[in-house]
This record gives sequence, C-alpha cells and structure tokens, in this order.
Amino acid sequence: MSKRNYHDLSINERAIFNQRLFKICIYTAMIIIGIILIFPYFYMVMKSLMSSEEVVGPVKLFPNKLMLSNYVDLFTSNNKYLKAALNSLYIILFNIIAVPLSASIIAFSFAKLKWKGKNLMFALMMSTMMIPPTVTQIPLYIMYTNMGWIDTLLPFTIPNLFGGGAFNIFLIRQFMKGIPKNIEDAARIDGASTFRIYWNIILPLCKPVLIYIMVTIFIVNWGDFYGPLIYMSSSDAPRTLAYVVFLDSTESTAASQMAHMRMAGGVFMTIIPGILFMLFQKQLIEGVTMTGSKG
Amino acid sequence: MKVKKFRKFIRENYEGWLFNLPLMIGLLVFTFIPVFSSLYYSFLDTDGFTQSFVGLGNYIRIFTSDRDIGKVVVNTLTYTIISIVLNLVLSYLLALLVNQKIKGVKTFRVIYYLPCIIPLVASGLLWKDIYDPTYGIFNKILTSLGMPTSSFFQEASSSMFSLILMNLWTLGSGMILWLAAFKNIPKQMYESASIEGANRFQRFIYITIPMSTPMIFFNVVTSIINTLQYNGTLTFAPRDGRGVDDSLYMYAVKIYWEAFERGKLGYGSALAWVLLIIVAIITFILFRTSKWVFYGEEY
Repeated sequence: MSKRNYHDLSINERAIFNQRLFKICIYTAMIIIGIILIFPYFYMVMKSLMSSEEVVGPVKLFPNKLMLSNYVDLFTSNNKYLKAALNSLYIILFNIIAVPLSASIIAFSFAKLKWKGKNLMFALMMSTMMIPPTVTQIPLYIMYTNMGWIDTLLPFTIPNLFGGGAFNIFLIRQFMKGIPKNIEDAARIDGASTFRIYWNIILPLCKPVLIYIMVTIFIVNWGDFYGPLIYMSSSDAPRTLAYVVFLDSTESTAASQMAHMRMAGGVFMTIIPGILFMLFQKQLIEGVTMTGSKG
Repeated sequence: MKVKKFRKFIRENYEGWLFNLPLMIGLLVFTFIPVFSSLYYSFLDTDGFTQSFVGLGNYIRIFTSDRDIGKVVVNTLTYTIISIVLNLVLSYLLALLVNQKIKGVKTFRVIYYLPCIIPLVASGLLWKDIYDPTYGIFNKILTSLGMPTSSFFQEASSSMFSLILMNLWTLGSGMILWLAAFKNIPKQMYESASIEGANRFQRFIYITIPMSTPMIFFNVVTSIINTLQYNGTLTFAPRDGRGVDDSLYMYAVKIYWEAFERGKLGYGSALAWVLLIIVAIITFILFRTSKWVFYGEEY
C-alpha cells in the first residue's frame, strides 16, 4: 500500500490523526519536563554512589561501580549522622504526639464549647498567623538563653506543647465544626463528661486531619536547619540531621573530599519525606489545596 | 446573690477556659511577650548581656547610615517579584499540561511535585554542587550542548538569575494549587461557553482566570509574606548566604547576620519590626484592593 498524504484522509481520519498528534506532543512535553525535574535528584543519587576517587575526578554521571557501601559508611564510619538522625527523630516523635493532642484540645474548646472570651481568643490566635517568625526569633533567643535552653533540644519540643501554632489549631477546629452536633448531644444525655466526649468521640473522628498534621510536622521538623542554626550552633550542642547536612553544604565545595558522603547524607534526608509523600499523597495534596484554595 | 451569679458564671465557662488554657499560656509566653519585647529590644543596643537605650537610633541607622540596606532591599524585591510572577505563570502552564485526561498523567503530577518535598538543606547541598563553575555538572552539560558556561553563584552578575532558575525546580507546588482551582470550576461553564462559540483562549480569559482568582489571591499574599522572609540562601550561597558582592543578600539573612553573627540583637529586632510593618502594610493593601477577586455567587 502506498503512503497516503494528510490531504487524502477523510475528515474523520484527520480528527483521529490530529488527536494522536496532540497526544504525542503532550506526552513528549511531559516526559521532557519530567526528565529535567528529576535529573538533579538523579545526579545526587548517582554521586552518592561513587567512590571517593571518582567524586573528586572529572565530572561524570554514572559511577563505575555502585558503591552502596557509602550508605553503610554514613552510619558506621563515625556516628555524626547516626546521632544527628536520632536527635531529629526524638524531636519529631515528641512533636508528633504533643502537637495533635494539644492542638485538638484547643480546637475542641473553639469548635464545641461555649465560653466567655472565645471569640476574642480566636481572633488573637488568628492574628498571630500574620506575625513573621523573624520578629519572635530574637526575643525567643534571649529568653531561651536566660532559661538555659540554648544548645539543648528544649526549644524544639516544649513550645509545641501549646498547640504547635495557630494554623494547626485552625485546621482541626474547621474539621470539628463539620462533625454533626447530635453525636455529642447523644453522649451528653448518656452522662458523658466533656473530656470523654472530646477523647472518645470527637478526637477519633478527626483522624484524617490529625494524620495530615502529623505528616507535615514530620516533614517540617525533619528539614528544619534554621532553628538549630540559631539555638544549637555551638560545637558541643546536639545536632539534628538537617543541621549536619547544612554544615556539610556550607563548609564544602563541589570538588572537596567526601562529596559522595555529603550526597549520601542529602539523599538519606530525602528518603523519609519521599516515603511519607508516597504513602499520604492524597491527604497531603488535599491538604495543600485545602489551605491554598479556600483561604 | 452576687456570689451565686459568680459561681454560675464560673460553672458555665470553666470547661472552655480549661480546654483553651494551653493556647492562652502558649500565645502569651511564645508569641505576645516575644513580640512586645522585640519592640522593646529594638530601642536598645544589646548583645543579650549588656544593654543601653538608644531610642530610635536603630531605626535611624536602618534608613540613613546602613550601607547594606539599599542592596538588601533591591535584592529582596527583585527576588520576590520575579519569582512570584514567574512561578504563577509557569506553574499555570505546567498545570495546564497535566490537566489532560490521558493515561499516566497522574504519575507525571507526582514526578513534578517530588522536588517540593526535598528538604531545603538537601536541595541547597545539591544545587551548590551542580552549579559549581568548574566541577559542577551544569556547565558540563552547557559545554556539551555548545552553549556558553556560567559562573552561577561565583559571580555577582549571574547570582540572582541562578537563584531564580534554581527555584523553578519547585514549580510543582504552584501546579498543585492551580489543579485544585481548575477542579473547583464547574464543567458546565466550559460546556456552555463552547456551545456559544468561545474558543480556548476566550474560555481561559473569561472562565478559568476569574474562577481562579481566590486561589491566585491567597497564593500571592502568602508567597509575598514568605518570600520576603526567604533565608534559603544560607544553605548554598557563598559568604554565608550573602553571595558574591552581596548579590544574594536578602532581608531575612540580613536580620540573621546582624543578630546572630554580629550579636547586634537590638539592631536585628529593629530590622524585624520594619519587616513586620511592611508585611502588615502589604497585606492590608492587598486586601483593600482585592475587589478583583471573584468569590462566586453563593458566598
């Protein structure tokens, strides 16, 4: 069969042809953009798998041999990364319990209880969302210095016993407002105390929003380098993983020794957020859009 | 009688107060006392141990004699304006691309969003490596494509451009917001517009844009507030986040530098208060001029 020109096709065939062409264009564009966006990360992973000689040699993309042992070395050669990762996990574990509990207690008082001063407190709380953290960092630094909290993990845990920020409380309050009132009324008639209503009825129903908050707490605390830079920067202070990677980044250049270990540290930092994202993709994206489009 | 009334008042309210107590303590200790002591510190010359009252001295210094400020403000504004506009436009185009109903499109959305969950320190480490003029892979790629190489962060003239280019890596977060906005637009609107003969471009101008304005507005407000406080350069820019010839020196890093590197806590507080006031003014203006935001009929 001889080749047919575009002009020889029937209208119907042309439509199908155009649609196919359109699809091919779309896929091509998506793949090219995807490659561009993935490439830096791919390069990081590759570099983390190179040997110490390769990494200081001429620029290349693929290692001769995949040195998976780099990741073992990361945690065994010295305990810098391991200790830091444990500190990070300690902070996160504390906050992942403290923030949902305290924030939900506060949110409960806003969503489900009647009391004098509620509207005032709510307005005060919401107004704090406008205050840039840059304003409070200096007085907090002075306060923590006076309390002896500098170079300890306390600035990263204790303040989170009080709700962990207006935004978390607001999110839970919005969610609780959506829980029908007759559920708690029924419990009240049965003689349940207010705390029981909060603990046994309302809190379990808030699971979706609490999971969202826990995941964001993990991601935010895991990546926080600025807090440790201010409050835990002396050399004998406990280190968090983000701060160790921060020091790796600032105290080095691309050509210097141990670039493969630095990259392995960086890649390791991305693994847990990556897994969390894959597991809670739906909640996270819904959360972003919930906070983004309905504000 | 009065005692009885008082008792009743307490009985009716104490549960609410009790449940709200953590917030009351937290706001007082970790927000309001710091905010007002910050204002107080801004009138002092203090390193945290010794202090002397200088009145408006710190503020006068910001506006008259601080040599860094001009450059810091220009850098901050350049970065804020360009990155927000570029992000809004390009993430829109990206969202449009992955808003098609074709196979595998969800996977691409995830891939585009992935760079956004990489912690700032890890991406700083990575880009510092990629952008290295002699040992980085970016210049190697440019050379192999026959294009001129760049000094990236190692030269003042290319620093800001490199930073903005680097930030395009996280376009995915804007894309997610746009996709959510698209989702909220009723399909019938497009259908009836098509029937009445509106083409793709007209549907974009008269439906997509107006219906997305609440999202655009919210996004612009929060990005302005966040970008004015951007301190990410600390992780990768030369000279401890200030860049060559202060080419990447921005406001939040300036506050950090004055307060925690030079130990000028009073001056840092004054800088922070100027930022607070600027943020408040910008937010106020944005809300006052937000008549173009379309909240739909039902609101």
